[in-house]
Amino acid sequence: MVECLTLARRIDVAAAQKRLQRLGAHACEPAWVRLWATGLGMADGQPGAWLLSAQEMRRALLLVGAELPAQKEKPSAGVKIDSGSPPTPKALDRLWLWERIATPRHWRIQLLDSTPIPIWLPCWLGYARGRHLRLTVLSGLSGETLPMLKPIVLKGLQQVYQNGQASAPKSSGASKRRETVV
Amino acid sequence: MEGFTLFDTVVLIGYISLIAWIGSRFGKDQHNPEDYFLGGRKIPGWAIGLSVMATQASAITFIGAPGWGFEGGLERLVTFINVPLAMIVLILVLVPIFHRAGIYSIYELLERRFGPATRTLTALLFLIARGLATGVVLYAPALVLAVVTGWSVNLTIIIMAVLAISYTVMGGISAVIWTDVVQMFVLWLGALLSIFFLVTSLPGGWGDVFDFGAASGMFNAIDLSFDPSVTYSLWAGLLGGFFLHVAYFGTDQSQIQRVLSSPSVLDAQRSLLIGGYLLIPQMLLFLFIGVILATYYQQHGLTPPEDLNELLPRYVVSAFPSGMAGLVIAGVFAAAMSSLDSALNSLSAVTVRDFYSRYIKPNASDAHYLKASRLATIFWGLYATLFAFFAGNLGPVIEAVNQIGSWFYGALLGTFLLAIFSHRANARGAMAGLIVGMWAVWAVSALLDISWLYNNTVGVAVSMSVGYLVSLTAPAPSQEQLSDVMMTEAAPDMQAVLAARADNAQVIGKEARLTRRRCIGLFIWFCLMLGMLALLQGWANEWWANG
Repeated sequence: MVECLTLARRIDVAAAQKRLQRLGAHACEPAWVRLWATGLGMADGQPGAWLLSAQEMRRALLLVGAELPAQKEKPSAGVKIDSGSPPTPKALDRLWLWERIATPRHWRIQLLDSTPIPIWLPCWLGYARGRHLRLTVLSGLSGETLPMLKPIVLKGLQQVYQNGQASAPKSSGASKRRETVV
Repeated sequence: MEGFTLFDTVVLIGYISLIAWIGSRFGKDQHNPEDYFLGGRKIPGWAIGLSVMATQASAITFIGAPGWGFEGGLERLVTFINVPLAMIVLILVLVPIFHRAGIYSIYELLERRFGPATRTLTALLFLIARGLATGVVLYAPALVLAVVTGWSVNLTIIIMAVLAISYTVMGGISAVIWTDVVQMFVLWLGALLSIFFLVTSLPGGWGDVFDFGAASGMFNAIDLSFDPSVTYSLWAGLLGGFFLHVAYFGTDQSQIQRVLSSPSVLDAQRSLLIGGYLLIPQMLLFLFIGVILATYYQQHGLTPPEDLNELLPRYVVSAFPSGMAGLVIAGVFAAAMSSLDSALNSLSAVTVRDFYSRYIKPNASDAHYLKASRLATIFWGLYATLFAFFAGNLGPVIEAVNQIGSWFYGALLGTFLLAIFSHRANARGAMAGLIVGMWAVWAVSALLDISWLYNNTVGVAVSMSVGYLVSLTAPAPSQEQLSDVMMTEAAPDMQAVLAARADNAQVIGKEARLTRRRCIGLFIWFCLMLGMLALLQGWANEWWANG
């Protein structure tokens, strides 16, 4: 079983708050989303970028850099959301093929033949008030918004909430919310 | 009249070779994948925005808009006055949904919402409409080449088609954003120099332009007539042009492709913002050149060319100093290539993704799909070439592109809006709305005397209302079909989850919504532009009344 790497959080709380504030959020919290990283590079070469995906994601995220910016410590504070199993190799191939057709510049870059590595991607979750409460998912690496992760995050938050409610009667009086890996 | 000199030819060839060299140096010969990906990210947002503008319209604007201005002054600016409003709708409604859905072609969203038949039909409509419009885009540089060389336009169309297809099949250079930026500046420089040379050649300078323009009503940009047969009334521009541009920028894969490829929604918004702010001033600049050219032709007793698209290229070749004409013509060429490259790429991508890989070869190898996409590029290049032969008969190229779009885009946009806003609409309704919407556009333009700008409004209104009513005859869509267009966090159970989390999350200070600010900025810009046109019109009429 491949060990799950933890990517180092580059956007600190102050920077995340600043960005989320611009997007209308009134509250924020850190989070970790478990995805699967597959190397991208020239044929028979070293990875120069990584495709971050999950079975439920329709388009993958691109992480540029020869090495995954991993840290030694396990994910620190924040809700942890597991996206489930990795896409099949065939699905990954197709995913990358369409990315390449959509951006012909990427045509020469290939998906390297390697097992997907599980990684914890640091994120920031912003909550914005309005007619409804709205969620914004921000990358903890680049600070970019990641709308494609939203369905996974929402599902994960719902699971965390249900787990918390299910365990509430057993641990009555527990005031602190439990953050579980789902 | 110097004509196109040998030095101009040297500059033309030198410029195109330089652009091609930059393209191959920075776009292809990078062996480190990191460079491929980081290339775009190191470039500032404004450059990306200008590059988007260069891809969109620069060559046909350079050629078509002066013809428009020559013929009708600033009246046709109302076609574009709505662009900031259209961008607001894109930023607020379409872009977030497209981005969140994680789609490559926007027609995929319609498949998830309405089923495969709707996706296939809408993608087919895009291919037909964009293929025809690409013919007009191909015609523009061919016309310039014809003016410069004196060869027949049909021959230059074939030459341009061969160049554009081979260049796209080989990978194109549109990856290099800086070359687009350079082209944009060359074209604007060409426009400003044209104004300078034209105005200085008039004995009374600007006074002559304003006299002639005011006397012939060329500054009357705002026509408040409610008569729907008035093609360029303010209402036609606001109501019809608005839907035209929402559809053009939001449901045409060749335009939305870059937005879908943007790393984030904010980046996507930024490129739309630049278009929202710059498109009106750019059109105003080129329409104004048309007005100045009209003054110039009148004062010099010249007969305008039969094809008004030739006006500005002819002037540039005859009046610009040797070398400068070559540079500007090269800018038109390079910009046209960038537009053609992008259009042919999106046509080929939709052909392979929405048709070939679904219906003909679902599980072929990457190499096979690459070959298929190249063959598709050649096919669409030939299709566009055939249409380019007729493009000269359609009047100013810029209007031709918009008119072609208006036959299809209204119904297409109506289907997207139905998918997003009506949770009751289903596949049967969407198909009925799409077909009846297009039929209504055809019927209205054939039977009624109304401005072509309203075609889009008719298409949207009919496709949405027919789509909704027909949907009532079939079961409502499932929750899964609605998942892309419904804000899942708005469901009551999800709101409870989010409220619980938000209550325990760190509070951030005062809200400052970037998207809202951006949209307000665009709305203020729209009001400013409209106000400025009204002032110009009032002032010109007063100038003329006071002699």
